[in-house]
Amino acid sequence: MALRNTDARWGGIAQFFHWLIALAIIAQGAIGLTMVELGMTPTKVKVFALHKSIGLTLLALALLRLAWRSGQRVPRDPPMPRWQHFAARASHFLLYVLIFALPLSGWLFNSAANFPLEWFGLVHIPSLTHGLDPVLKAWALRAHVVLFWILVGVVAVHVAGALWHHFVQRDDVLLRMLPGFEKRRLARRQGVLQ
Amino acid sequence: MKGTVLLALLVLPLAAFAREWKVDPAHSALTFTGTYQDEKFEGRFKRFDAKIDYDPADLAHAKFDVTIDIASVDTANTERDRALPGKDFFDTAQFPRAHFVTTRFRKSANGEVLADGTLSLRGVTKPVTLVVKFSQTGNGATLDVDTDLKRLDFGIGGGDWADTSMIGNDVAVHGHLVLTP
Repeated sequence: MALRNTDARWGGIAQFFHWLIALAIIAQGAIGLTMVELGMTPTKVKVFALHKSIGLTLLALALLRLAWRSGQRVPRDPPMPRWQHFAARASHFLLYVLIFALPLSGWLFNSAANFPLEWFGLVHIPSLTHGLDPVLKAWALRAHVVLFWILVGVVAVHVAGALWHHFVQRDDVLLRMLPGFEKRRLARRQGVLQ
Repeated sequence: MKGTVLLALLVLPLAAFAREWKVDPAHSALTFTGTYQDEKFEGRFKRFDAKIDYDPADLAHAKFDVTIDIASVDTANTERDRALPGKDFFDTAQFPRAHFVTTRFRKSANGEVLADGTLSLRGVTKPVTLVVKFSQTGNGATLDVDTDLKRLDFGIGGGDWADTSMIGNDVAVHGHLVLTP
């Protein structure tokens, strides 16, 4: 598989970022929703620390992904109405905004709450504020939660769109983000793969 | 001769008490530095009462007697400040106050003044030694005391919280008192 994007498909690097970030977001959402229900025990502290470490990883991945994408062509969309073009572009743009905004709002909340921050217990991460800031803390927490539910909504649209392209439109939009694209496209043409 | 005895009688009771000071609460602080998740954090006890009898020239009659309102702990983190008075940590419902009282003052080999005493904290009483720095400024004085405690010696954060890789065992305690006559 080529690492770079082509007109017809996403390259290996783009696919790696897409699926790794997708997995991390699912794990992050599940951990985030669970951890806030835990009682005040060392387990809770460790689960929060894991959530923070994954969040920082996501932020780093988002940066690398954007840097990589900026030097890449984007595969050409199949023919579709203008509003669908627009919807696809807008949702992709929003997803990029959110994969930055979510970890940043979490980092800001953690800083304003005056909690320590380290990446998997290895690297100390500095605070974004000068210690406790109750107003900013409340604001950042609300932003973090609201942004999460917006992300859930946009991801739902994104997944629905991909499945609609695959099963209804029967085009390459989903396949070109999957490894083994050429083989699958061939198989699909021959009617082996639905 | 008569006069000297009389003078001695007058002076002796005074000499038996080292100089008594008042603590200026607005400029005094009782703080501590702990470690949480590999990061240092500072806390303070906003309310404490210190009786200070101290004259650097008369250590034999010096005395510190300090009572600390443990529930007044403040570490600039709402969640931590909610947890600290709880049963797992200071358990202020059962042990609302800590008490430190000196038993004797001495000079170390390098000339530092050391105050030996006992600290009662969370139902545990242990000997504790303070390093004392005293400096007189005009009518008033400042008193700085330091000691290092181990939180687990006093059962603070025992059980599930005993893991010192999460919460460090060493806690440096610092008192800065501004004294007025």
